[in-house]
Amino acid sequence: MKWLRRNALRLLIAAGAALLALGYVPEACTCASSLLPRLSPILSILGALAARAWLGWLMLLAVPLLVLAFFKGRFFCWHLCPMGFLSETAGRLNPRGKGLVRRVPPFNKAIALVVAVSAACGYPLFIWLDPLCMFNGFFAAWREPFTWAAATTGIGFVAVITLSVLVPDIWCHRLCPLGGLQESVSLLARRFRAPTDAPPVQSSLTAASATRRTVLAAIPAAAASIAIRRALGANGRNAIRPPGADLERINALCARCGNCMKACPYGLIQPDLGETGIDGLFTPVLRLRSRNLEQEQYCFQDCVACTEVCPTGALRPITVDEKHSTPIGLAVIDRRKCIAWEKKEYCAVCDEYCPYKAIKLTEHGGVNCPTVDADKCRGCGACESNCPADPIAIVVKPC
Amino acid sequence: MKRETRHERSSANAIGRRTFIKTGAAAAGAAAMPDVALAEEPRSAIVVVHGTDIAKMVEAGMARMGGWDKFFKPGTKVALKPNIAWNSTPEQGGNTHPDIIRAFVLAAEARKVKQVAIPENTCHPEKKTFVTSGVRDALKGTGAKLYRPKPADYRPVAVPKGRICKEAKVAGDLLDADCLVNMPVAKHHGGATLSLSMKNWMGAIDNSSRRSWHRNGLHQCIADFSTFLKPTLVVIDATRIMLDNGPQGPGRLAHPHEIIFATDPVAADTYAASLFKKTPKDVPHIGLAAELGVGCADIAKIKVERIEA
Repeated sequence: MKWLRRNALRLLIAAGAALLALGYVPEACTCASSLLPRLSPILSILGALAARAWLGWLMLLAVPLLVLAFFKGRFFCWHLCPMGFLSETAGRLNPRGKGLVRRVPPFNKAIALVVAVSAACGYPLFIWLDPLCMFNGFFAAWREPFTWAAATTGIGFVAVITLSVLVPDIWCHRLCPLGGLQESVSLLARRFRAPTDAPPVQSSLTAASATRRTVLAAIPAAAASIAIRRALGANGRNAIRPPGADLERINALCARCGNCMKACPYGLIQPDLGETGIDGLFTPVLRLRSRNLEQEQYCFQDCVACTEVCPTGALRPITVDEKHSTPIGLAVIDRRKCIAWEKKEYCAVCDEYCPYKAIKLTEHGGVNCPTVDADKCRGCGACESNCPADPIAIVVKPC
Repeated sequence: MKRETRHERSSANAIGRRTFIKTGAAAAGAAAMPDVALAEEPRSAIVVVHGTDIAKMVEAGMARMGGWDKFFKPGTKVALKPNIAWNSTPEQGGNTHPDIIRAFVLAAEARKVKQVAIPENTCHPEKKTFVTSGVRDALKGTGAKLYRPKPADYRPVAVPKGRICKEAKVAGDLLDADCLVNMPVAKHHGGATLSLSMKNWMGAIDNSSRRSWHRNGLHQCIADFSTFLKPTLVVIDATRIMLDNGPQGPGRLAHPHEIIFATDPVAADTYAASLFKKTPKDVPHIGLAAELGVGCADIAKIKVERIEA
């Protein structure tokens, strides 16, 4: 009872955040259901820094947390963070594990530094360790349409909770990069105020050693960021990505929060289960063939829903006009499978559905036969998802 | 017990309304079946209304077809099958004009019919097409049920006279209707050459049926299905017609300013094709349907009555 009284507010906040991520929001502000990850500066601000792009005014939702850290240290962690509350509560399930955490050195500031430095280098590492993103990914997974593949966005949350049961408090005190970031910010703040309240000699000594340690950690982080980008950066292009995707950096920028997968009205965005490479695990790919036969859908020409909910800039916010001029793939016809080319039957369903007029029909043997105009094709998959041939004769390939 | 529907009835007797009429039992048919008021009309007569005010045109056409009361009886079920497949505005001519749909819904409701169902298996997401087409707005304040059928809303039917298409899954509300109005828009079509009334049934069937039609001979399947699903009335919107880039558009437009009323879908399609300077030879499914005895595809034998409204 005492616990409940002391934690009532945190419980309420965690429940509210969970409801938000679950999508239980008033009809009028459904966009709110994707806002939780934007509160984290790791996602919004470091993401924008890495993407070298302005991600819209919504990215400023992360500023309050930085201001709070500057003046109040880790106030957010101990009083507001839903993930912190849940992992702390999970730790209470294992009273014998109390104190185990003291044997673990603190990694949180180091992880935060790696994320920040690599983001500054343009290829962020470990951005997906953000707690708000993991929390959001877990609860958003239950939103309709639920699939086990899409539920992989909940893995981080489950891992943190499990770890917290085994070693109570390890997440908040030792690992969380958001906690580490706030700690660094508050240390910085303390240094600003140093002349008034700290002995000058000691302060400059710690400052010097802290600076040395920071530089020592920053150099390998920057090197790793650049090396990993060189080695794996091209992996982003191995699959068809949602519109607005930053193909060079999507595997690094994507925080795996699950927002885009739930935003897609047609359920086309699904997690990569390893086909683009190990670094692309659980990043969004567009699966045109995941369709259910009764509801053929494709990346609709006037829809940019997924780009509006991405907190990190892995998918940039784009306008409908930009979507019309940016290809996400290229349709390729296999004439041996095509009803018109092979069977000489009237068909032209690809032309019928193509929103970009990218199918050219020419008469061969009395029947209109299709070819793809590569300059007009945007890879939306209208042709692929409606092609009546069996097996399908027109398939979108990554561009 | 479930009410026996029009189509179950007709297929059970292995004799459709039209066959019945064709055998010369027109007068008897009119008395025996509730919705054959049109049997008095000559089979190959169509009414073409020219004008600019759609509500007036519909009134004039329906008056000439025998009046609304002949079609919409109190307590009966009405189903309309307009074409609302594409995310296209009324001006672009990709869909049936919303004013025509509204005129029919208002007339039906004024005659106290039990329900007006408008099922449409759209090509673009229905959330878009129903709004962009102007139909959702046009139906505001009416009780008409506009929807995209879910898998459970389709019922499998046999097409006994089909040569290729032997079965299909059709939206149940169309099968159950006492009065079924096929109201397509006339437009160009990359696969079917033209999209007219018989082609419009592709929005009445489910996607697996659609796919199989494309795979197995589109024109024959369209003709086959028209031997089964017979509209009480055909109303073709030719107020503006899309000449190319169909069926989605946008394409070049022509403005015949006409609405075609008929009971014979083949005759209606044959006349509508002539607006594109095409004959049943250019649009194979029209000729194939005539071969199957669905209607008259000989433009010389179709009596066209023109009205100005």
